[in-house]
Amino acid sequence: MATPAAVSRHRWRRHGTSYLMLLPFLALFAGFLVWPLANSLYLSFTKFDGVTAPEFAGLENFRRLLFDDDRFRHALGNTFLYVVASVGIGTLLSLGLALAFGGSGWPHRVMRTVFFLPSVTSSIALMLLWKWIFNPGDFGLANTVVGWFGGRAVEWLATPGLTIPILVLMSVWGGMGYGMVLYVAGLGSIPQEYYEAARIDGATPWQQFRRVTLPLLRPVTTYVVVTGLIGAFQVFEAVYIVFRGTNNIGGVLDSGLMIVPYLYDQGFTHFKLGYASAIAWVLFLIIFAISMVNLRIGRALKEL
Amino acid sequence: MAAAPLTAPVTAPPAAAPRRPGSGARRGGLLRLPFYLLSLTMIAPFYWMLITVFKPVTELDRQPPSFVPEHPTLDNFYDPGYSPTQVNPGHLQGLFQRFQVDFGFGRFMFNSLVITITITVGSLLIASLAAYVITKHRVPGRRLIFLMIVASMMVPWQTTLVPNYVIMRNLGWLDTYQGYVIPALAKAFVLFFLVQFLHSIPDELIQAARVDGAGEWRIWWRIVLPLLRPALAAMSIFIVLAEWNNFLWPLILVQSDEMANIPVALARLNSYFTGAQNQGAIMAGGLLASLPSIAFFLAFQRYFTRGIVLSGLKG
Repeated sequence: MATPAAVSRHRWRRHGTSYLMLLPFLALFAGFLVWPLANSLYLSFTKFDGVTAPEFAGLENFRRLLFDDDRFRHALGNTFLYVVASVGIGTLLSLGLALAFGGSGWPHRVMRTVFFLPSVTSSIALMLLWKWIFNPGDFGLANTVVGWFGGRAVEWLATPGLTIPILVLMSVWGGMGYGMVLYVAGLGSIPQEYYEAARIDGATPWQQFRRVTLPLLRPVTTYVVVTGLIGAFQVFEAVYIVFRGTNNIGGVLDSGLMIVPYLYDQGFTHFKLGYASAIAWVLFLIIFAISMVNLRIGRALKEL
Repeated sequence: MAAAPLTAPVTAPPAAAPRRPGSGARRGGLLRLPFYLLSLTMIAPFYWMLITVFKPVTELDRQPPSFVPEHPTLDNFYDPGYSPTQVNPGHLQGLFQRFQVDFGFGRFMFNSLVITITITVGSLLIASLAAYVITKHRVPGRRLIFLMIVASMMVPWQTTLVPNYVIMRNLGWLDTYQGYVIPALAKAFVLFFLVQFLHSIPDELIQAARVDGAGEWRIWWRIVLPLLRPALAAMSIFIVLAEWNNFLWPLILVQSDEMANIPVALARLNSYFTGAQNQGAIMAGGLLASLPSIAFFLAFQRYFTRGIVLSGLKG
């Protein structure tokens, strides 16, 4: 074992095993992520119906998406509105819930479980449930509640002005428990001494919250907001299950059309696979930009 | 029974018992009131689902609706009074009568179960192998590989939807179990999490085993995997829930009824059957889809919360 040749042979054997152990993950990672990603970039520059070979079209898909396609512009507008509203409201409520139910006694733990329940429930089941709750009949749960206050039955899912608010409601209802769990952990890691020191200096509860809690929660807030944004941009099931009509994925007047449902519609209903790939890359760029902003914010905060 | 945050932290900074700072119990109670009210809006939809499941067809579109089923029944699962040839008012197909496949809805539950278990076990095995090499072997290129995998976490997976569909079609894997499983095995976030975890485990344990003459595969199986157990538990909960509820990929992959998982079967129920009289059977399907994942969560709640917190706050 002492000769250099033996050492190097030994090392090669070690590395051989190492690469063999890496192989399953790397092969699948390359085959079903890296290669498809590159392929999708290529397809986004082509006209491709899935049957005949892709036909190179340069930037045509992107030109059409950005300048000619009203439905896509509509989908982008809807998505941004939905993302801002659902992440904004959802984050505020998550923080509120964590402040309200962050304790270790059983009432708080039960409450946390209740708010977290949607996160572990089948999302398709929840969407079907919402569709049933917003049934246009006067026997629907939403219309029954409206009836208690003397209102008349509402066509919840067929009124374009209500589509985004309902989507935001479903998203906030389903997602605030997840943010709450993160905020509870964040609150728990703030040393009590900081509050004691603040109290000795005569800080009111509001000042303590404003000057101690909020700044120390900033990393958690960044994480909740960024993951929320990324998740919200990818919304699909809510639109597909609750709002899709017989021949239109986006609901009445496309009022619920979003990026991923439109991708699905173009790619897998109309089989415009090149065009769908271009939509996928627009989504990629949006999410990549958010991740980058997140990294920069994180670095800036560390330098402070 | 509930989300105990970080009672036994694995690698994250320990969290003190979360106490609400600077607030007396009385004033806190008043501030909490709106959130207690909000919890009613959390319960109400679930309750509505539950009572819908047990209402007979004639009670589903009654106005005003009943808030306790007046004639509770299991007909929404299987209705013995239904006959395809003879119209029998008040009777419709139950959930298990609606698909022309063997075992009806049970077939989809079986599919979901098999797929979920296979992907969970498989992805944890291959990710733990790779994580072991990346953290404990000095092989050339490991940093680059890890960097690529981390970078891929910024990619929305929908970007690969079209090419992966084409790959599945060319391989003849549409509508097959391998079409569900194989593309889902390499999970970057699992590898990332396991690497973080393994960094905190001292190399001496592994060195000692090497000195004793154990091979690398044996070290992985007998030392690394047991050490990783808490991390594997946390990750397996994420994977199980994600795969059990996976929808968009199966929607594209599956053509026949036989190969549908539960979410796809539910979506098909939703497009085949409209109208209030069908909602009992549809909600029954929703209940069967949700109960296992809720039970799973309640059973492993501690690991789950810890997993969220670890992957969130360290990532």
